[in-house]
Amino acid sequence: MKSVKIYSDGRVILDGRENVFEEKGLSLLEHLYRKEVGDYPKFFKMDVLCKLGFIASELLLKGESDRFTPREDRAVLLFGTCGPLCNDRNYQATVRDYPSPSLFVYTLANIVTGEIAIRNKYKGESSFFILDAKDEDIIKNTIEEAFQDPVTQEAVTGWIDCRSEDDFEAEIELMVK
Amino acid sequence: MDLIETLKTQIIEALNLDGMTPGDIDETQPLFGDEGLGLDSIDALELILLMEKNYGIKLKNPAEGKEIFKSVNTMADYIAKNRTK
Repeated sequence: MKSVKIYSDGRVILDGRENVFEEKGLSLLEHLYRKEVGDYPKFFKMDVLCKLGFIASELLLKGESDRFTPREDRAVLLFGTCGPLCNDRNYQATVRDYPSPSLFVYTLANIVTGEIAIRNKYKGESSFFILDAKDEDIIKNTIEEAFQDPVTQEAVTGWIDCRSEDDFEAEIELMVK
Repeated sequence: MDLIETLKTQIIEALNLDGMTPGDIDETQPLFGDEGLGLDSIDALELILLMEKNYGIKLKNPAEGKEIFKSVNTMADYIAKNRTK
């Protein structure tokens, strides 16, 4: 798989081929987890941004012959406007009473890139960039800069934005230097 | 519902173990490590909060947690002896 797009309205596009699911929003991600992954219970503890990035990367990388072999040459570089805002709201709601440790750990945007790196045993660069808007030039330049590093040869990269559990999109691809 | 079954439900809810039912948790199995539920250090903090919120128990010595959180049985035993609500 070279590119994956997931939209909260139920559309999932794998290398240009579109499937439309009855499930929408968070239910779509949980359906895709049960259908395509199923062996990573930590998924259920993730915030919705991580669930979205995790499922998109699973669809992208599923079937790779040498998957889960530790490597440094593949980076994870994701971009979006919201970061973990949905989870931040949920965490804020617990602060007045008992601040939740399991929500707190997902209050950083780059946790999603870390989750993907941990799952796939990537030891290279892992970054999430929060932009004001989807600026293709900034994204392109940032990826090109990452490839200046002599170690980085490939990148799981793209746009991932999660405005709520019912309103999100992920458009990621595997890019080679 | 007895304390053990209640506790299993509360653990599933607190740790977001979606898709799991109380029947899936063996009250004697280890909560942490590869053999049992595979919980981690963040989950331990959630369990401490669970005891405080639901049973009014504040762990004064975090080192006690190692024994208390061995299994659902050990947790229920500690709660039964120390609960204030």
